[in-house]
Amino acid sequence: MTDKHLSSQFDNELAQLSSNLLAMGGLVEAQLRQALAALTNHSDEFAEAVLAGELRVNAMEVAIDDALTRIIARRQPAAVDLRLLLSIARVTGNLERAGDEAAKIARMVRAIVNSGMPTLPLSDLQLACDLAARLIAQALDAFARLDTIAAFATLKEDAAVDREFDGFVRKLITYMMEDPRAITPSLDLLFIAKAIERIGDHAKNIAECVIYVVKGADVRHRSLAETEAAISAAPEAGMGRP
Amino acid sequence: MNSLLAALLLLLAIAAGLWVIDRQRARRFLRWIADPTASAMPDLAGAWGLAAAYTRRALGREETRAAASAARLDTLLTALDALPDGILLLDREGRILFCNAAAAAHFGLDTKRDQGQHIAHLVRDPLFVTWFSWSGEPRPPLEMPGHPDASGQPVQLLVQRQAYGADCLLLLSADITAQRQTDAMRRDFVANVSHDIRTPLTVLAGFIETLQNLDLSAAEKARYLGLMAQQTRRMQALVGDLLTLSRLEGSPLPSQGERVDLNALTAHCAAEAFALSTRLYGPEAQHLRIETAVDFDFAGSASEIGSAMSNLLANAVRYAGAKGCITARWSRDGEGQARFEVTDNGPGIAAEHLPRLTERFYRLDKSRARFADDADSGTGLGLAITRHVVERHGGKLQIVSAPGQGSRFALLLASARVLARA
Repeated sequence: MTDKHLSSQFDNELAQLSSNLLAMGGLVEAQLRQALAALTNHSDEFAEAVLAGELRVNAMEVAIDDALTRIIARRQPAAVDLRLLLSIARVTGNLERAGDEAAKIARMVRAIVNSGMPTLPLSDLQLACDLAARLIAQALDAFARLDTIAAFATLKEDAAVDREFDGFVRKLITYMMEDPRAITPSLDLLFIAKAIERIGDHAKNIAECVIYVVKGADVRHRSLAETEAAISAAPEAGMGRP
Repeated sequence: MNSLLAALLLLLAIAAGLWVIDRQRARRFLRWIADPTASAMPDLAGAWGLAAAYTRRALGREETRAAASAARLDTLLTALDALPDGILLLDREGRILFCNAAAAAHFGLDTKRDQGQHIAHLVRDPLFVTWFSWSGEPRPPLEMPGHPDASGQPVQLLVQRQAYGADCLLLLSADITAQRQTDAMRRDFVANVSHDIRTPLTVLAGFIETLQNLDLSAAEKARYLGLMAQQTRRMQALVGDLLTLSRLEGSPLPSQGERVDLNALTAHCAAEAFALSTRLYGPEAQHLRIETAVDFDFAGSASEIGSAMSNLLANAVRYAGAKGCITARWSRDGEGQARFEVTDNGPGIAAEHLPRLTERFYRLDKSRARFADDADSGTGLGLAITRHVVERHGGKLQIVSAPGQGSRFALLLASARVLARA
């Protein structure tokens, strides 16, 4: 994002697009914070705020995709520019879906609050939700700074969210065995836990995009060790700027 | 003729030689002047040597001046870094030119690496982005959540924006977390005081109306008057505690000169505790063991230390319950600090309450520790007063407790105020 092009207009377009993407990221982060607040306070007030923000996230996704299409058609970018634009498209999609998950959490919290089963371990999910929200923030920071080290840290920490999810499912099962009346709200909680786990995965996808932009290496579906090797390697020949 | 030619040739040869030497000097001089450093100056004779010497002198002056202004800039940047408030200098586009340490902590930035980054790329909170990109005037300061501090606690920021120079921007951020907490505490305090004063007043008003309107028997009248007396005692205790608190806040620190006889004071507080225990649970129901023999004295305010000790004992009596077992004693640790420790075997306190226990009107549980006579329930200010007193005496209040394991409250008092008994 910092290299100069012959056409500074192109530079401006790329910078503007990145700004819009990160603004959308900020919106999704706020959505996650509010979903977390809804979870923490058992409040449908915060839940309503998340549902209202959902529309803005969707609108931004469409606007960014539109700008992206126009830039690709007009500039026919290559090398790092092409990777950047492809990654912006992927990050946008992942952010939108993370926003969807936040809305899902908000809807479930509303349902649980209305059903009035306060004894369920709603608070256990706070930790995981907080962790997932921080992963998204970390991945977006890495994207803004094109920082592969922070991106790799995000990949590693996603495993912690997955562990939280497994532990929570085991715990829910004990609640459902204890009291069959808890099954319906427990299923809602399970969906919340799943949504949180998915948010962690979206953060991971964004982090993989950062590595792709900087190193030109596609590290999706690769082990952590392979990813680390790809990060420490120089950018692949032929993938750099001609 | 021939000799003339020879002389001419010789002159020519000498001139050519001089010319070559001069060319060489010029070349060396030019080579040096392309990247002049004082130490690498060529040793040249003649005009070129003079030129080099002058250049070197000018160069030296310039270098000294540059070093001085670099030092000034360094001092200035160090000073900016030491500021408690955050300072961000941004260019016209909003890219970071400079960021001091406080701003980096407030926004989660890196002072070195994030130079040249657009501020809105890293501070993505929609509140901030909207506020920052809004071009209208006037622009009120923005209150927003900042990057959590080192211990992960949330931080509240007040951010201001100021244009400077040729379309550069200055962002100032101040941490107002403590201020907001104080505001919230003050609001709670006023609400609690009003509530705690209104409740006995409502009860009193009800009884007074009854007494005025109904023709009651003497026994009933006596009962009602007794209840009214209870309520007035409760209000008296509350107002007394409030006055104590405000006096503690406003008055100068207790003098070092006043010698407190800890033996007598402890005996007095113990007697109070026994009386309270008997009133609440009947005689001998609770097991109280208070060691009143103390082999040192203390410099400070007797009334303040006395009220701190009474508060701890009264709390233990109230919360330990009818079969409670309470021990209290003074001791001195290895560093000479005095320590008054009250231990009970009550229900204990959950970890989340511990840090807030000394807040005014903070109660563990609205239903617990309420007694028939409301005046015995405590005002909710006891530990706040205790903490104030201890801190005024250069000590601290230590609380150790866990649910089901009883509690241990300890007054730790600075060794400087402990007086050995003659």
